Amino acid sequence: MFQVARSPAALFRLLTPRGGVLVEAVRGRKSRNDPKAKSKVDRVKLPPPIDPEEMVVLKERYREYDLIVRALRAEFREEVMRRRYEEQVGSRAEERAKREAEEHRALMEWNDRENLRLRQLREVRVQKQVEEEAKRRAEEILLHEERRQCVLKEKEQEILQLQEDVKTFITPENLEQRIEEALDNPKNYNFAIDKEGRVVKRTVLP
Amino acid sequence: MNSRTGISKEFSIMVHLSSTLLKRYHGGFVVIRLALGGCTNRPFYRIVAAFNKRARDSKYIEQLGTYDPLPNIYNEKLVSLNYGRIKYWIGCGAHTTKPVAKLLGLSGFFPLHPMTVTEAERKRKQAVLMEAQQVGEGDKEDEQDKEEQEA
Repeated sequence: MFQVARSPAALFRLLTPRGGVLVEAVRGRKSRNDPKAKSKVDRVKLPPPIDPEEMVVLKERYREYDLIVRALRAEFREEVMRRRYEEQVGSRAEERAKREAEEHRALMEWNDRENLRLRQLREVRVQKQVEEEAKRRAEEILLHEERRQCVLKEKEQEILQLQEDVKTFITPENLEQRIEEALDNPKNYNFAIDKEGRVVKRTVLP
Repeated sequence: MNSRTGISKEFSIMVHLSSTLLKRYHGGFVVIRLALGGCTNRPFYRIVAAFNKRARDSKYIEQLGTYDPLPNIYNEKLVSLNYGRIKYWIGCGAHTTKPVAKLLGLSGFFPLHPMTVTEAERKRKQAVLMEAQQVGEGDKEDEQDKEEQEA
C-alpha cells in the first residue's frame, strides 16, 4: 500500500493531529476489499463526452492516416530487405568480394617481398655465425694445445728436478756417511731480526 | 536418469535464452518512444528505439533523436530526428507511440496525426468563443455605463 514512489505523487496529510506526519501516498491507496468512501458512494463515472460530427470526421481522418502509415511501413520494410539482399547476394556483395580479393593479393605480394628480404638478411647472418663458430673452435683447439704443452713442460721440469734431487737423497748406503757428516757439522738456525730487516746471528751453540 | 521422451518431473536441461529467442518467448517488440531525462522542473526527452518491456529510461537499442518540450528564447521547441535510422527501425517492424507519431507528423516524415488537426480545430473554436464572450462582455459594460449616465 505505502510504496516508495520514484516520481513525486500526490502528497496529502492523513487524519492526524497537529504536527502530523506527511506521508507520501501512491496511486491506489486502498486495497481490494476496502469499502467505498461515503462521499463517493453515489458517484457514477461516465466516459468523456464526444461530439458526434467531430467523431465522424476524426474516424475518417484516422482511416486515411492508418492507410498512409501502413503503406509507408511496407515501403520501408521493402527497402530494408532490399538493402540486406544487396549486402549479402547482390551487386554490393560482388564489389565487396572484388575489393577484398584485390586487397588480399596486394597483401600477399607484400608478404612475399618481406619474406625474401628477411631471408637474405638471415642467410648473411647465418653465414657470419658459421664463420665465427669455425674461428672460435680453431682458437679453442690452439689454446688447448698450448695448455697441454705447458703442462707437459712443467711435468718435464719436475722430472728433471727430481732426477737432480735424487743425488741428495739419503739411501741405506749413504746412511752412515750422512750421519757422520751431520754430526760433524752442527748447524745453528737461531737468529734475530729487527724491523729494518737486519739479521743477527750471534747465538752460540753449546 | 530421466528419459527425454517420457515426462520428467525435474527439468533435464536449463537454458539461457538468447535475445531473439527471448523476444519470441515474451512476445516483445521494438518501440520508438520518448525516454525522459533532465532535472527537476526541466524535462528533456530522447527519441529512442527500445524493447517494449524495458523500463522507460533504461537500456535502449539506439537513440534516434531528441525533443525539448520547453520553448527556448526564440519561442521554439527543438526536435532532432535521425530519418535514416528511423526508416530502418520502422522497416524492421518497430511501433511508435502517440507523441512520437505526432512529432513525426509535424516534421513531415509521416502524415499529420489526426489528433494534431483535431486539437488545433478545437483550440481555434475555443479561441473564437472566448473572443465572442469578451466582445459580449464589452457590449454589456458599455450598455451599463450608458444606463448609469442616463440615470
